[in-house]
Amino acid sequence: MIDSKQASAALAEIDDIVQRVKQSQLYELASLAAIWWGVLVFAGNVVTWLWPYYAVYAWPAVDILGVGGLVAIRLLSPPHVQGAAFDIRLVLVFVLFFAFGYICTNMLGHFGPRQLGAFWPIYFMLFYTLAGLWFGTAFVAIGLGIIALTLIGFFWIGEAFPLWMAFVNGGGLILGGLWMRRI
Amino acid sequence: MAELDDIIHQPLRLKLMAALNALPVASGLEFARLKKLTGATDGNLGAHIETLAKAGYVSVDKAFVGKKPQTTVTATAAGRGAFARHVATLQEIIAGGQV
Repeated sequence: MIDSKQASAALAEIDDIVQRVKQSQLYELASLAAIWWGVLVFAGNVVTWLWPYYAVYAWPAVDILGVGGLVAIRLLSPPHVQGAAFDIRLVLVFVLFFAFGYICTNMLGHFGPRQLGAFWPIYFMLFYTLAGLWFGTAFVAIGLGIIALTLIGFFWIGEAFPLWMAFVNGGGLILGGLWMRRI
Repeated sequence: MAELDDIIHQPLRLKLMAALNALPVASGLEFARLKKLTGATDGNLGAHIETLAKAGYVSVDKAFVGKKPQTTVTATAAGRGAFARHVATLQEIIAGGQV
């Protein structure tokens, strides 16, 4: 025999576990995406550090492989982690993200390599952090951590800034992704 | 008013059924993930999964991934139905009194 209070508590428990299942599925996908982007960003920064001339080719390649990888992760994931059906608005999000970044860095301002190296991670991590306000504190922690370390590198690390960013941004995403899998 | 399902009503089994029911049909969760989600111990979780399996509410698949054994638990159609009825009964209780 249970009363309405106990029934409400049982339903609240069900809601809680359903939310946790959904968050766990989201973290599973997000961790793969973070690790993939981390590897690419690490490689992009190492190329920029070792062969600055080729950075102009490396970063578009990182972006294309990064977005392509996200689509592949989404399509190859088992059904229980895929969540909602593919939404064309996700593509639009990336188009708007890169278009706005391009307008800021090339039209409103003319950013040099160092400014570009700081702007894109901060800009990307801003959205990551904002998403975390809805999807889970792991996103917020990873986003704010990488933004803070990027700013430290921008102001205090000299010529080795791309190498710093390889470890901070690339390494941060890889570690963040691995951490998400353990939550 | 319908009766509450005694098998599902136990707190840990309710959590298990809620977690499995949140997945698409025929999708399951690994034992390790269920343990993390519910906060249960290995022994406790295993015992309650067995109770649900005996009632026909979940199916348990054991396989090897590499060299590691992996147990996957999936809600059956009967389990999903029983869970839906259980939730409906809880809602009825809230709407109109006691069982």
